[in-house]
Amino acid sequence: MAAVLPVGSDLSGAMNRFLKTILEKDIVDAVLMPMKVPSGDSFAWIIMSDSSIVDDAEAMAPVMPVQGARALRSLTRKGEGSIRVLALMRPCEIRAAIELSKLGQVKTENLILAAYDCPGAVPMDSFVSDPSSGEDLFRKMLAGEDVSAGEVKPSCTSCVEFSMTDADLHFGHFGLGGTEVLLIPGSPKGMEILEALELPADRETSIWDEAVRKRREKQVASRDAAFEETGENIRGVQGMLNVFADCISCRNCRAACPICYCRLCHFESETAKQDPNSRLDSAVTRGGISLPADRMLFHTGRMTHMSLSCVSCGQCSDACPADIPVAQVFSFVADRTQKAFEYSAGRNDGDPLPLRSFMKSELSGIHEMVSDAEPGGHAHE
Amino acid sequence: MISDKHDDFTPRITSFLCKWCSYTGADLAGTNRLQYPTSIIPIQVMCSSRVDPVFLIKAFLSGSDGVLMGGCHPGDCHYETGNYHTRRRFAILKEIFDSLGLESDRLKLSWISASEGPKFAQVSNEYTEQIRKMGKNPTRKSVFL
Amino acid sequence: MNSIVMKQDASTAIRELLAYLLSSSRVDAVLTMRQVPETGSCDLGLITDPSGMVEAEPFLPVMTANAGQALSSISMSGKRIAAVLKPCELRGFTERVKREQGSFDNLLTISSICGGVFPLEKVISGDLEKLVPRYIEKTARAEAPRGLRETCKACEEFVPMNADISVSVTEHGSLMHLHSDRAEEYTEGFEGERIEARADQSHIDRMMKSRSAAKGKLFQSLEKSSGLDGLVDLFGKCVGCHGCSRVCPICYCQHCDFESINFDYNQPYFQESLEARGALRLPPDTILFQLGRLTHMSFSCVGCGMCSDVCPVSIPVAGIFKKTGERTAGLFDYVPGRDSEEPIPVMVFKEEELGDIG
Ligand code: SF4
Ligand code: SF4
Ligand code: SF4
Ligand code: SF4
Ligand code: FES
Repeated sequence: MAAVLPVGSDLSGAMNRFLKTILEKDIVDAVLMPMKVPSGDSFAWIIMSDSSIVDDAEAMAPVMPVQGARALRSLTRKGEGSIRVLALMRPCEIRAAIELSKLGQVKTENLILAAYDCPGAVPMDSFVSDPSSGEDLFRKMLAGEDVSAGEVKPSCTSCVEFSMTDADLHFGHFGLGGTEVLLIPGSPKGMEILEALELPADRETSIWDEAVRKRREKQVASRDAAFEETGENIRGVQGMLNVFADCISCRNCRAACPICYCRLCHFESETAKQDPNSRLDSAVTRGGISLPADRMLFHTGRMTHMSLSCVSCGQCSDACPADIPVAQVFSFVADRTQKAFEYSAGRNDGDPLPLRSFMKSELSGIHEMVSDAEPGGHAHE
Repeated sequence: MISDKHDDFTPRITSFLCKWCSYTGADLAGTNRLQYPTSIIPIQVMCSSRVDPVFLIKAFLSGSDGVLMGGCHPGDCHYETGNYHTRRRFAILKEIFDSLGLESDRLKLSWISASEGPKFAQVSNEYTEQIRKMGKNPTRKSVFL
Repeated sequence: MNSIVMKQDASTAIRELLAYLLSSSRVDAVLTMRQVPETGSCDLGLITDPSGMVEAEPFLPVMTANAGQALSSISMSGKRIAAVLKPCELRGFTERVKREQGSFDNLLTISSICGGVFPLEKVISGDLEKLVPRYIEKTARAEAPRGLRETCKACEEFVPMNADISVSVTEHGSLMHLHSDRAEEYTEGFEGERIEARADQSHIDRMMKSRSAAKGKLFQSLEKSSGLDGLVDLFGKCVGCHGCSRVCPICYCQHCDFESINFDYNQPYFQESLEARGALRLPPDTILFQLGRLTHMSFSCVGCGMCSDVCPVSIPVAGIFKKTGERTAGLFDYVPGRDSEEPIPVMVFKEEELGDIG
């Protein structure tokens, strides 16, 4: 069941008014939402306590320049506070925030996490080079019109978690023809907001449910196709080397990733540095090496460190100056590592992080699993 | 952005003062009942060279109307050469501000010894007046900084 | 100056020199750009086997990483290395040596009068095949090829400042100039006619003319974004990835201050900021990082352009750092990377200087 928010002329505007109201009524102390930067070619996360500033902000931005979970991390990492903040973000941002809270990097106690039906995002580089086309494109995406897949962030075209997350409050608009938005509470915190606004959650949601289901079907199909393609491309050592052939080791992918929260990444630390002499020795052994070294170690190592929490947001691909489909690879791997533990990143269902827990008897099929991953391999005893 | 150029506001001048000279100078001004304005917000540091220019930038971007860096006179630094380094770093900072068209007059470096209570009072009065004329720092209201 | 006349094109000649250095055991390894023939992929190779030289493209107009940065730690291995560096890479390396991040002790540096490099996006999109032949043609005539990195178009430091060997390609042919005893010693026995010659000054002058003009234009275009609003226009869309500093040859800190706990804030800080201005950007300190990095390193910026190339939101970082850097270095008549003996301006001082600044 849901409450209903009438939409006047535009969806985003209606959501803005809602956020403004909860600020004015002191239901929260601040709201965190995107605002267009003065140069007009990007958006930034702005936390605002002054309700008049909401007018300049935009509930749903066409792009995701900074993963929202990173904004929440900077706000709460140092400890809980007393400011009650409602953060309106994309579902993958909320899911990343939930993962970060499990990792102790986001404190959710005073946060109200709100998400919306996400139509996908426009890739950062195309938006920066032509903001007005990017905005038009996003308007079409919001209205549910067909746009060519190549124009949308690749991770978004295969995202199956574009709607209901474990947010406290969800803005559902798919299938409603742009005339109203459903406010779906996902937790007591979300319920409290509706109560404070005296909005009864009495609307039945079947039309919206159906629209979401239909879209998910489509998305699942395109995700499966994407996984198949990526699986082919990264097969074997040579496959990985090919996909990452142009990697220049800038580590933008790591820096843009909401899950990679380490202040000093292991792979940039002294520990990971090979001493120059043995580096030269390994060059001698192979006749030569590529510099900067250890690119594969970095990417596969990062997978082991964080793929269980990867939310497939696509930020890594967006930030890569070498156009490497980093997110496609990480999503593909994450899908498998998460399945191995029946874990789904970003769910607030009490499931602990798989790497922080274990069962005495589990993974008995681990040998088989390894053999599955090797094309044509035989089960190791 | 905003044009808060009224003459009646009390500027906020974040002041990094070295313990051995400028801060003591400020103290002396106080004990001698020399008037120095409430605009000065003193922060004691062990030596002017302890102050990374980034501190000054942080103060500037956070809305300080002026930022004052006070140290011992050249040659008198208690750590021998600290303030010579301060001077170079400060020159670099000013140059960066100028190259970007930022108001570098909102940054000030001044040498004030422990015995110069009157000089401290004079510098802070004059600087406060200068900043008052410049108006509030527009960084006070900028959301995107 | 003693110079070796190169019979073939410069790339082939240097490839042969590098192979000669390896096979005669004068050096243990060679650092050079490579291009994998099948895929067209480029990278920096540290090559020890002379047969690996077939992939070497010493003068490929591409910079996947500033080689000065890549060379940094391996130059301290005690092994002898011959490194082919673009002038700004050599200067970047020199700046690193001053910061004890590298050593010239066992190094033979080879550089050339540089025509500039193409931005990464052009390299990635596979345009190189078309671009390189035209590039070679144009640079041989001291003309500016199209589509180079912005800071390359505007680079006036295209003549190597302190290489052991420098290569100049002019309409009079290609020459290898030997600038040091080490260069003489290492090239001993390498075939090729020795003559007394310098790089063709009129060629350099013509290049300089177009570079200076481009630099004027670049700086002028940046002037448009001036003042606080200009600053927000320039850096407002920065996503704080710090890619610019990670690929910078000068930024060598393993743990950047701006990523440290020093810039984590507790709730009262956010509360106060909200009370003061009603709104605040998150993560905070985006622009502080830029200004802070300028104070930490701009006087050493060699204008290589790596930072602009990796910026995911196309901020002209390198142009800004080069422009401001020339001013901060200029305060002390400092030229980054000119001379490894010249101290970094923030490490030294004069008792009498800078007038009445304090
Ligand atoms: S690895 Fe990439 S897709 Fe996965 S959470 Fe990190 S940035 Fe997002
Ligand atoms: S962002 Fe791209 S180029 Fe940079 S390290 Fe990641 S994969 Fe490599
Ligand atoms: S690379 Fe670009 S987006 Fe990233 S920190 Fe630097 S200027 Fe900002
Ligand atoms: S600031 Fe940019 S242009 Fe300057 S040296 Fe560093 S990477 Fe190169
Ligand atoms: S102790 Fe005063 S400036 Fe160094």
